[in-house]
Formats: sequence, structure tokens, C-alpha cells
Amino acid sequence: MSNKLSSSVPTDREVVLGILNNSEDALNRLYIGYYPMVLQFILNNNGDEDDAKDVYQEAIIILYNKIKGGDFELSSKLKTYIYSVCRRIWLKKLSQESKKTNNVSEFEDVIAVEVDIEQHEEKDLQFEKMGSALLNLGEPCKTIIQDFYINNLSMQDICEKFGYTNTDNAKTQKYKCLQRLKKLFFQS
Amino acid sequence: MRNDIELEGIIEDYLQGKLSATEAAAFEELRANDPAIDHKVVTHKVFLEELKQYGAVLSLKQQMDNAHKKIDVASLTEQLRPHPSYIVNLWRNNKSAVAVAASFLLLTIFSIYSIQHNTKQNGSYEVMRREMANIKNNQNRLVRTIISSSKMDKGPVRAAKFGGTGFALTSNGYICTNLHVIKDADSIYVQNSNGSFKASVVHRDPEHDIAILKITDNAFVPLSNLPYKLKKNTTGMGENVYTLGFPKDDAVLGEGYVSSRTGHSGDTTQYQVSIEINPGNSGGPLLDNYGNIIGVITAKENNVDGATFAIKAKYIQQALNAIPEDSLGKKVAFSKKNPMQGLSRTKQIDKIEPYVYMIKVYN
Repeated sequence: MSNKLSSSVPTDREVVLGILNNSEDALNRLYIGYYPMVLQFILNNNGDEDDAKDVYQEAIIILYNKIKGGDFELSSKLKTYIYSVCRRIWLKKLSQESKKTNNVSEFEDVIAVEVDIEQHEEKDLQFEKMGSALLNLGEPCKTIIQDFYINNLSMQDICEKFGYTNTDNAKTQKYKCLQRLKKLFFQS
Repeated sequence: MRNDIELEGIIEDYLQGKLSATEAAAFEELRANDPAIDHKVVTHKVFLEELKQYGAVLSLKQQMDNAHKKIDVASLTEQLRPHPSYIVNLWRNNKSAVAVAASFLLLTIFSIYSIQHNTKQNGSYEVMRREMANIKNNQNRLVRTIISSSKMDKGPVRAAKFGGTGFALTSNGYICTNLHVIKDADSIYVQNSNGSFKASVVHRDPEHDIAILKITDNAFVPLSNLPYKLKKNTTGMGENVYTLGFPKDDAVLGEGYVSSRTGHSGDTTQYQVSIEINPGNSGGPLLDNYGNIIGVITAKENNVDGATFAIKAKYIQQALNAIPEDSLGKKVAFSKKNPMQGLSRTKQIDKIEPYVYMIKVYN
């Protein structure tokens, strides 16, 4: 009864294929399907529901990148993988906050995931750096960069959105913004 | 400045593969000749990938937040948080151990139970009606053909399919046998030293496996008074009993004792008797030393030696009660006093034999 998962938990294969095909539905079902398991683990090990959310989302990102990276092999059940990753992350956090970590209440099998987590930590560092660099960049640069490089808007769209008189002005603005962003990113 | 902007535009187009073949070749040559440009290309590429990655994670987080909103976190938290009670936590944490212990306990109980009940009768119940053997049929047929051709009278030419035993309940031709003996019968003949007579079924009692037949043949001459009585009371264990039956074409005596007051799997409507019986004995009378009928031979346990079952006599009486009183004539009665009491076994059998019939079933 304690780790009853909702009946709509997708099969592992569905999840992998769904993520490879950018299916939002698959991600939703994955997310909703295994959240109770992680929540239970965190709640029973000195955490609250916000900790559970953070840890769980991190684990999903790791899984997502792993699948997207193409080197993903289903050597265990996704459930076990997610649980193991969450467990590792949470134990790390606990020891960083020097909360007590003895007597971990386990709910699932555990597999070794240290390598994945280390890789993720590097990526996460870059992510944080980029986030803070963008934040320091300020508006409208941040939005221009995001629109052009992340949301793949055309120069024309950006022109209209920000009221530039011609695309050359917009291009110049974008160039300046990107230079500043590079500076901020590589400096920090 | 202007050049830098243009250069970056070209680099971006180059990285995205938007340049035409000749432009790309020209650019690659430029890149090969100018390390500064090459460096710019590489760093730009790395940086753009970082940006893409950032964007992907950002949108993933957005999606997850959307999914998260669909979850009823509060109630889940309530449901999954560690229970304040120590007992409940103990149960949750050791559920699998408890389950193992419980299954072990169940298994143990079950094993002990089954060991204890191994002493129970476990053979199957096998009714003793006889399927006439082919060889015998052939012989019978020979004999009968000769007889019928010499006498030129009617009568069964075909060999009987099944056989059993029956005994007279009244002097005017009511006969008791087992229901399973006459199952699926098209026609029934009863035969003893007096001759062979056609009979029909007048009563069936499927609950106790009893059937009552009536001889309908014109050639039948009413019998004299029945020598035996029905014994109403339950006979005690150890009582010597015997039966007459037709496992072959002549009457065969079987002798033994009452070995249990109940029948197969504790069936209280039956006795268990220790008599060797064979197919064909079904429906035979079970008599005690005083010449009282105490039951009807029905079946035996097929992989237990000497476990034969007989229906208690009071159910014969019940079956008899189902037939109108005035058509019965002089019937067998429950009685304590018995004319055969004190006679030797041989004398008793001499008296009984004319009242025991071989039942032949045709279908």
C-alpha cells in the first residue's frame, strides 16, 4: 500500500521512446508515475515534499540526458534507476547538510549510479553558470539571446518583437549581447 | 566591429550548415589559414551547445513543473509520511520479513495438517457393477443360442452389457439392487436358478444409490415367504457378515465383518465391511449371522484392500416406502425374530439363494 503507483505508469520502453521523440505526454506520465515512490523515500529520510521535488526533478533530468545522449541501455528497471539516483542525490545532500544519514529507510532495490551523477553535476554546474550569466546580462539582451538561440526565432521575429527598425540593428544588438554573455559565462 | 558581426553571422550559418557548398569550402580554407578564426568557430560552437543544453534543461524543468502541478502532493504526503506510531513504522519497514514469516507459518501449518490427514482414506470410490467380459459373452451367446433354437422361445439372444446382483424384497417380485447397476438400461433381466425374467424399474433413489425393480415377466411364479428380515438398527463393528453375489454367472459367497460404522469418507449412510468383492457384486444383500439383511453391497475403495461399502438397510426400507403399499403384497419386514436364526451358514445360504438374482442389463 505504501508505494502503490498509479495505474498509468508507462512501460520503460514507452518512456525511452517517448523521450527520444520529445513526447510531453510520456514525460508527464513518467513524472507522475514515479513521484510517489521518491516522495515516500524522502519523507521517510528527513526530507519534505520540496526536497522530494528537487531531487526527483534532478533525477529525471539525469535520466533524460542519458536517454537523449544515446548511450542508454536498460540494464535495470527505470523504477530502480530513478530510485537509485534519487537515493544517491539525497544522501549526498544530507551529508552536505550534516544531517544524520544512518538508518536509511529503503523502499526499492538500489543500483550503482555514481558515474551518472558525477557527469550530471558537471553539467549542472554549467547550467547554473549559464543561468546566472543570463541573469546578469539583463533585459532585453537575455530575451533576445533566448529567443534566437533557444527558441529558434528568426531575426525578423525578433525585430518585430523588440521594435527594431531593421534586422541589421537587431543583429548588431544580438552580437553585442552574445559577446557580453560569453564574457560573463567564461569569466565566472 | 562591422566585420566581426558579419564574421559571426557566417560562423553561425556555417555551423548550422546554411552555407552553400562553395561558400563552405571557401570558409573552411579561411579557417584553416587563420587560427584566430578557427578558434572563434570552436568557441562559438561550444558556447552555442551550452546555450542549447541550457534551453533544453530549462524547458524540461518547465514541463516537469507542469506535471508536478497535476499531482496532489498534499494528500500523497499525508499518505506516505512516516507514521507517528512506532508499530506502523515497524510494519512498513519490515513488511517483507513479516510476509516471509507469515508464509513460512502458513506452509508449516499446511504441512502439519496434511501429514495429520494422510491417515484419511484416499482411495477412490469404485462401484462394483460388472461389465461382461467379451470371452464370457461369447460363451454365453453360444449356450443361449443353442437353448433358444431348441426351445424356439423368445428371450435374450444378445449378451448382457452389464451385470449386478439383486435380492427379493417381496414375494411378488420386487427386487432391490443398486441404481448404478441399472444405469442407462434399455431392458433388464433378472436370473437365478428359477429362470430368467424380464423386470422393470419402479423406483430410483439416486441419493442412496438404490433402485427397486419389479419382475414383469408372465413366467414368474410368486415366491414363498422371504426367509430373511431387514435389520433396522445399526450393526456394531466386528459383526460377522456375508454376501451372495454374481461376479460370475454362478452365485459367489463373500464373507467378512463390519469394519466401520461409516462408509467412504465418513458417509453415515453406509457401512464399511471387510469382504473381498468384485465387479458384479453390486446390489448384493449383506446379511449378518442371524440371517438379517443389514445392507446392500455398493462399492469398494479401489486401492485399499478389503474396504467394501454397503448401504444401510434402513434406506432400503425408505425406498420401499415410496411404492404403494397394496402393490407390494407380502413384503420383507423389520423384525427382531428371524426364522433363520440358529441355522448354520450353509443352511442359511441354501434358503437365501433362490431370492438372490443376477441382474443383467442390456443397452
